[in-house]
Amino acid sequence: MKCTPSLEARDVDENLINIDPIQVGGRLTADAMKAVIAWGDGYSVCDNCRKPNRLDMIKNPPIDQFHRDLARFLNMDEARVVPGARRGFQAVSGTYIRKGDPVLLTALSHYTEFLAIEAYGGIPLEIPKTAGNIITADAAAEKIDFIMREYRKPPSLLFIDHFDYQFGNEHEVRGIVKAACQNDIPVVYNGAYTVGIMEVDGKQLGADFVIGSGHKSMAAPAPSGVLAATKERSAEVFRTTGTKADVTGRTFGIKEIEMLGCTLMGVTLIGMMASFPHVRSRVKHWDRELANAKIVTDALLSIDGTKILSEMPRKHTLTRVDTTGSFDKVAGTHRKRGFYLTSALRERGIGGTIPGATRVWKYNSYGMTEKQARYTADAFVEIARENGLMG
Amino acid sequence: MMSKIAVDSVFHAMFLLTDLRVILRETAPLHELDDQQRETAERILNSLMAQVQILEKELLR
Repeated sequence: MKCTPSLEARDVDENLINIDPIQVGGRLTADAMKAVIAWGDGYSVCDNCRKPNRLDMIKNPPIDQFHRDLARFLNMDEARVVPGARRGFQAVSGTYIRKGDPVLLTALSHYTEFLAIEAYGGIPLEIPKTAGNIITADAAAEKIDFIMREYRKPPSLLFIDHFDYQFGNEHEVRGIVKAACQNDIPVVYNGAYTVGIMEVDGKQLGADFVIGSGHKSMAAPAPSGVLAATKERSAEVFRTTGTKADVTGRTFGIKEIEMLGCTLMGVTLIGMMASFPHVRSRVKHWDRELANAKIVTDALLSIDGTKILSEMPRKHTLTRVDTTGSFDKVAGTHRKRGFYLTSALRERGIGGTIPGATRVWKYNSYGMTEKQARYTADAFVEIARENGLMG
Repeated sequence: MMSKIAVDSVFHAMFLLTDLRVILRETAPLHELDDQQRETAERILNSLMAQVQILEKELLR
């Protein structure tokens, strides 16, 4: 099926159970798909933009209300939509980082946090992880002490990913925030793998900023995301322009500098808005998602030689697995080499794994029905059995 | 003059097809529908046919 002579219709999720680690939380709800159909044109949300001409103040469609709802959803004071979590990191970095500033992140931080720090001349410094791939509050406190000694000033920001993208492990966010607060370090909570799939309470966590990804975890089109802040910090990160043009004398109203004016002006925002009622509801059912994840994880663990590299028991649906001692042993002699596993999964209607990967890889069961989780679990076991891996 | 009825029907039909698309996703890869899903699919298809009839009447008159 083609959209145009040169463009395929993407039907991955219609034909397969998708276990891609980064895609599943961003799949659109039916309402978002419908909204995308109706609002796909470029500046579609701007039909009724009136003075003072700012995206977060548009009343029809109710974008202003959506912003208030987003802030309340995260228990923060102000929120703005941004083109992906990374643009949230960039906005906060642009506000607080000056050339040569030490900035704290972790050994499991996403690369876009490093880039955001680098863009403003900051020096990224990692909090080390434990042998079990956890970022602890003690390690954070030690690193802060080190920075205070070496740089004679506190880090200008601390980025902490609640659950990381590599293992889907939970880190000691509350303790880390506490250590940062004791040294007046503003904290950026990276909720790319939490906001929209599980409940997040920014005030309870003590974060200055909560950042989420629309396309990763809020059932929204890419690039989309949210940057929420406390009242105190919002005055800083959402500061407005004071520029006056020298020749024309033009001024630019109350446009927000770090947002570069309006951010998501069409289909991305409307998709996010259409999914939001479902997102608000689905975060209350995280336990159901973990139960489905367990079905798949247990099946993989039943295959001799398979190891789960993520923390156990699983607290997230994104899981890193090591099949060097199982599926990879077959790859050495199979005519399709490492591609046999991808191929066998595909034949059973399961997709989203890295083609050819049989050693260390990741999967994510988020959004599966229980029936689909059982089907996926059975498929892994069946492939293992067919290849002589079940004892 | 514009046909508001035709425009509404086009959207309605696409939204109904979207609901079918979601059923396909929820039942992938085998697309074996349970009783409730079959009932929903049947209701959607009936509504879809009604929208197509409206469009025929509005646009092919």
